[in-house]
Amino acid sequence: MTWRIGVDSGGTFTDVCLFNDTTGEVVIWKVSSTPDDPSRGITQGVTEGLERVGTEAGEIGFLGHGTTVATNALIQGRGVKTGLVTTDGFRDLLEIGRQKRPDLYDLQANKPETLVSRDLRLGIRERLRADGSVEEALDEDAFRDAIRELKAEGVKSIAVSFLYSFLNDAHERRAAAIIAEEFPEAFTAVSSAIAPEFREFERLSTTVVNAYLGPVMQGYVRALKKKLFDIGVKVAPQLTQSNGGVIAFDTASEMPVRTVLSGPSTGVVAAQAIGKMTGIENLITFDMGGTSSDVALLTNGSCRVVNEAVVHGYPLKVPMLDIHTVGAGGGSIAYVDNGGLLKVGPRSAGANPGPACYGLGNDEPTVTDANVVLQTQNPEYLLNGRMKIDRNLSVAAIQKLADRLGMEMLQTANGILDIVIANMAKAIRVISVQRGHDPRDYTLVAFGGAGPVQAARLARELGMSRVLIPRTPGVLCAMGLLMTDLRSDFSITNLMRLDDATIEGVGAIYAELTERAGAWFASEGIVPDARQVTLTVDVRYAGQNYEIPVILPEGPITQATFEAIRAGFLAAHKQLYGFIAEGEPMQLVTFRAAAAGLVQKAEFAPQPLEGADASAAITGARPVWMVEAGDFVEAKLYDRALLKAGNVVAGPAIIDQMDTTTVVPLGQTATVDAYLNLILEAAK
Amino acid sequence: MNMATRMKLNPITVEVIGSAFASTVEEMGEALVRASYSTNIKERRDCSTALFDAQGRMLCQAEHIPMHLGSFIGFIPWILRHFGEDRIEQGDVFMGNDAYEGGGTHLPDIVIAEPIFVEGKLVAWAINTAHHSDFADRGHAHIYQEGLRIPPVRLYRKGELQEDIQRMFLLNCQVPAERISDLRAQIAANRLGVIRMTDLCAKYGLDMVLAAGEDLMDYAERKMRAGIKAIPDGVYRFSDTFDSEALEVPLDLSVTIEVKDDQISFDFVSPPQVAAGLNVVYTALLATVYYAIKTVVDPTILPNAGLARPITVNAVEGTLLNCAHPAAVDGRITACQRVVDLIHGALAQVVPDRVTAASNGSVAVASFNGRREDGSLWVYLETIGGGFGARHNKDGLDGVHVHMTNTSNLPVEALENEYPITLRRYELVDGSGGDGTFVGGMGLRRVYRAEKACRVQVMGARLTSQPWGLEGGKPGASGHFTLNGIRNGFERASVDLAPGDVLEIVTPGAGGYGDPALRLDDLRARDLREKRFV
Repeated sequence: MTWRIGVDSGGTFTDVCLFNDTTGEVVIWKVSSTPDDPSRGITQGVTEGLERVGTEAGEIGFLGHGTTVATNALIQGRGVKTGLVTTDGFRDLLEIGRQKRPDLYDLQANKPETLVSRDLRLGIRERLRADGSVEEALDEDAFRDAIRELKAEGVKSIAVSFLYSFLNDAHERRAAAIIAEEFPEAFTAVSSAIAPEFREFERLSTTVVNAYLGPVMQGYVRALKKKLFDIGVKVAPQLTQSNGGVIAFDTASEMPVRTVLSGPSTGVVAAQAIGKMTGIENLITFDMGGTSSDVALLTNGSCRVVNEAVVHGYPLKVPMLDIHTVGAGGGSIAYVDNGGLLKVGPRSAGANPGPACYGLGNDEPTVTDANVVLQTQNPEYLLNGRMKIDRNLSVAAIQKLADRLGMEMLQTANGILDIVIANMAKAIRVISVQRGHDPRDYTLVAFGGAGPVQAARLARELGMSRVLIPRTPGVLCAMGLLMTDLRSDFSITNLMRLDDATIEGVGAIYAELTERAGAWFASEGIVPDARQVTLTVDVRYAGQNYEIPVILPEGPITQATFEAIRAGFLAAHKQLYGFIAEGEPMQLVTFRAAAAGLVQKAEFAPQPLEGADASAAITGARPVWMVEAGDFVEAKLYDRALLKAGNVVAGPAIIDQMDTTTVVPLGQTATVDAYLNLILEAAK
Repeated sequence: MNMATRMKLNPITVEVIGSAFASTVEEMGEALVRASYSTNIKERRDCSTALFDAQGRMLCQAEHIPMHLGSFIGFIPWILRHFGEDRIEQGDVFMGNDAYEGGGTHLPDIVIAEPIFVEGKLVAWAINTAHHSDFADRGHAHIYQEGLRIPPVRLYRKGELQEDIQRMFLLNCQVPAERISDLRAQIAANRLGVIRMTDLCAKYGLDMVLAAGEDLMDYAERKMRAGIKAIPDGVYRFSDTFDSEALEVPLDLSVTIEVKDDQISFDFVSPPQVAAGLNVVYTALLATVYYAIKTVVDPTILPNAGLARPITVNAVEGTLLNCAHPAAVDGRITACQRVVDLIHGALAQVVPDRVTAASNGSVAVASFNGRREDGSLWVYLETIGGGFGARHNKDGLDGVHVHMTNTSNLPVEALENEYPITLRRYELVDGSGGDGTFVGGMGLRRVYRAEKACRVQVMGARLTSQPWGLEGGKPGASGHFTLNGIRNGFERASVDLAPGDVLEIVTPGAGGYGDPALRLDDLRARDLREKRFV
């Protein structure tokens, strides 16, 4: 049982990362994805990966998997026919939402598709008051009739969301029991189990998305489990969630809404692990792909978890790593708009026809074409020579743009990169400056196929002095799966003034959360030594509506806990909003427990340092546009695979590897660290 | 800045600096919402943020509430006129709301502005406005009844709070504790704007940032001109009727639009200003025209002062749509909604695929107030959306805010927690969307039950008229109010609610587009299945 495997199944490729616990060997394998049934691509990838390292499926000690099944079903509207039962008078809330229109000025804009059609949304008499007490009992007969009606309509899944169920779940529990009697084969999601938190629309939306995706995820998990079992995998596979942790397959299929952002979160987890490995723990991640880019901020090695976000137009109240996405990547198209300014994206040439240089019929310039023209990317081929490209086509495409702008061709190519970098910098400011963090105190970790090409330039734009390029930037997500803990989050909403909070009251809430976490640990088979629970509470000034999470100090709840909450909140409020409201009372809103089952992670052994001389890895030279010089400068070319720990590459230089290209600018050096990461810094 | 000394920038630098302006105003808006206390701002997001240049021209506005542009465009020019640049100092914070002195559009929208200094020179302004739900239960015969009038005054001088001014303001408010907290959030939001702009100037140099501001205005102007040019030249007229619970008889409003090459002019004809809070000051009319034309011409035009250059707007002073002191203005947005309908109605004659059938044409308001057990007052205001007009190739939107506003609803679970009101129903109104090849959006029904004695004032429009359809589409349904089941039992006034009283607000739907007989079978089948028509 020495091999640990991470499988990241994306839209185009399925990446497999194999790690040998005993020898520290890392092997990467890539196969084409099979979008109609992703489990085929995954099984093929695992099988081929195992063949490559010459071992059997029975030797796998851990298999972690990141999937876009839930996301894609949500985007493409391929969930199941779903019924909804709400408190009488509120069945249209799903469609009304927050009553805002989707775009302020665009009269043609539409809202995202409502996931339950109006005839399948039924209101039932029952009502709780704002304190959780019952004003009107659940009309069980009417509810039973409603379930029969939905069953007759052929729904596969039923969502139930009543007002104030986060305070009192009695009616929803009764509802679930009736569904189990009347329609046991239905997938059931009740809001007090899915998102037991304040604000009825967001809770409803989360519950409906979960119901809508449930059977899809169940079917997927069942098929994949069987295929993996058939090839001899003995361990229970794990699935990643949006909170950056993994969870058992079966748990995930009950809570698919928690996996909607599983893809990008693994990259962040990998960056977190690399941070721990290298001791560089203040990181900003920059994952640039073909059509979009994700950025996230890690302070002291951890990424903030947000408890609500809007995903593909649907508000979701589930724990997610605070990842910000921008609609621009290597394939984004540059154009001049009717006001005469140069714009980049969000339209993308994708993989087919792809950038102009591919010669597959697209003659509009992309970000990749700009890099090819400036020779920051190889002007003749991609993927270590596997794919030929034509720089002349890039030049022609950018020349057309330059003519419209009245600018030089090279200036225009450089300008495309300026604009992309400005867009990325804007996204990074959202997660750093806007949250009170100065990016200059952080190291930029660049990955994704297109990240390392732009990384140094982006860092410069933000005043960041250090860039880290991991060993396998193109498949970092798959690698991240080998470094992920099991995670689940539990919460109880209970509004109280901090001044009124008692040790007994708050202690009881946390006792219940800890108990729920304990039950989860047991169900996941996590041994006591590997159990870790972090307690937090969401705090605001009484009267505000947005809370700030504050981590509780370890140990039992005492008066000192309340002092720590007060101090933590004031510091965070000052950092976020720039002021403290002296003397204003604070309010505790939602109490949370984040449970982590620490798994034994892939541990990379440091390599012995071999001296600074990197000349053995030089493969040639070519002129490369260096923005610092405003011109082409002759740059040495290096093969990343030949670089040894301790080597130092002086800019201007280009470091090539199969899955990406790193640009080392003038005046900087790239040092290969003991874990084979590249560290770019100003030359000494 | 004069053209001869203006730095020449390439279009890339302009785009990069423009994106920094945009992220600054967005960040200011987020900070304002998150740090504020009153439900109207923290949950309903009834606020806007912007940057202005030293001459009082808008550089960038965050996309929140189009109406608020009206409060911004007059504010800085007024300060510059009355104070002069030499009496404006770093650390000053101006506060104002008046419709006739300082460029506000109605008194609850309190504007806060802070000058931005770089190298000792006034270079720009951070500005925001937030709708304070206060000044409740007032009269609307003239503006003196509507609340405290504040010309732009310095709430801070060189960073020093002017406590006497603050005290006088708070004494005139019914819920001073919320006002002070919201002001604090507004001031903090502007501080962020000041810091970001100062950093931007440090990075690119002041001249480059200023030149980029000029270029961005030229850019918006070019885009606006290109869009107007695409509309065939001609003169287009449209009339509509404007009814409201505050009017004895409906009023006739009309517009004549002339499109000539890349310019467009609007002439509005409306009756003399009325003794009700429905009058529109000129800056509010401008904001409305800018909104309406942008939706037709090009929704992506940057929100800065340049877009106004090809546009002329005329309305006789002293009329409803260009009112003069002392006309009451509190509910001006209702009339502004009808102005948008007029413009879209006129342009439907020439670009029918760019406009929609009439939307609900109203901003239904319920403003509650009462007294808590400790003697303090509470005020709760909400506005309710309705139907959004059908489009030439798709249905309208159901139950949304349209045109000049876009505030969120307040979650039931927040409302009932803060105020002695229970929400009984919140749903779409069957049959309220006008039929058509594409159907108009449905209106909303919101039913409240008072738990304790309180007062409520309701406002609305399209209560007797209906939102029109286009190209053969049917009109949407009118709105109405009921009290304990009795229709329009309390028109034109605040009423007292006793515990258990039930208030129902039904907002108008929207017009349909095209002949109903041509509606596709599968869409018609869905209408029937979902019982959208009664």
